[in-house]
Amino acid sequence: MTLQVIAFFVLATISVASALGVISFRNPIYSMLSLILNLVSLAFFFLLLEAIFIATIQILIYAGAVMVLFLFVVTMLTPEGGGISGPDRLRWQWGAGVGLGIILAGGLIIALLSGSLAADAKAAGLDGLSQAVARFGNAEAFGQALFHGFTFPFEITGVLLVIAVLGAVVMSRRFVRE
Amino acid sequence: MPVTAYLIVSALLFTIGAIGVLVRRNPLVMFMSIELMLNAVNLSFMAFAHFLNSVDGWMFVFLVLTVAAAEVVVGLAIIVSIFRTRHEIDVDELNTLKG
Repeated sequence: MTLQVIAFFVLATISVASALGVISFRNPIYSMLSLILNLVSLAFFFLLLEAIFIATIQILIYAGAVMVLFLFVVTMLTPEGGGISGPDRLRWQWGAGVGLGIILAGGLIIALLSGSLAADAKAAGLDGLSQAVARFGNAEAFGQALFHGFTFPFEITGVLLVIAVLGAVVMSRRFVRE
Repeated sequence: MPVTAYLIVSALLFTIGAIGVLVRRNPLVMFMSIELMLNAVNLSFMAFAHFLNSVDGWMFVFLVLTVAAAEVVVGLAIIVSIFRTRHEIDVDELNTLKG
């Protein structure tokens, strides 16, 4: 077992366990912290996949900025005691949800294992080392691709962010009736 | 590691996120489950980018990250304004539109 394989299995365990934590903790704050652990473990997955720049922005933006905003709202809206709500109206909800989830996971994994993705990659002579990364280095390869092939989506991203900011401002304003 | 291993982890994370959306009643936790699903898809994008020798997958991850940030901002604003008017955030109670 090489170091990469060990790292993969450790990270896979951490990410799946923390994802289970997100949906099973009763207190939303614990779910939140579990989600941050999950995002950080995904950043380490990206490091394993040789995407240093994406791993960095995953930690800085996602696990940092977005999750701080999230944590603010969770602490603001969660009453003391974790916000345990009244009696369950849909008692069959857990069973049905978990059952459907198992069906979804089974379908996805069967589709993945019965396909020939790995064989195709091997046949095409792709063994994983990205040539673009080797040629440019990491952030440079990202910038080259972003500003040459993906300029229009990048511009649209700016429009999207403006719309999101305006929407958040409008929605969180208090309308005072005169 | 073969690409299938990454895709299986991604499928498991996506499924856990989907179960979270189905079974939880706190909209904040449902939102976190949506983030889980987005990140599961990001992981498979990155795995394909690595195994197909292409940087295009990184671009999609970057765009998904931006869209997720925008979605969190707008969604949390909606949840805060619902809490302000109803003083409760259990999604089973929010049945004003029910016929």
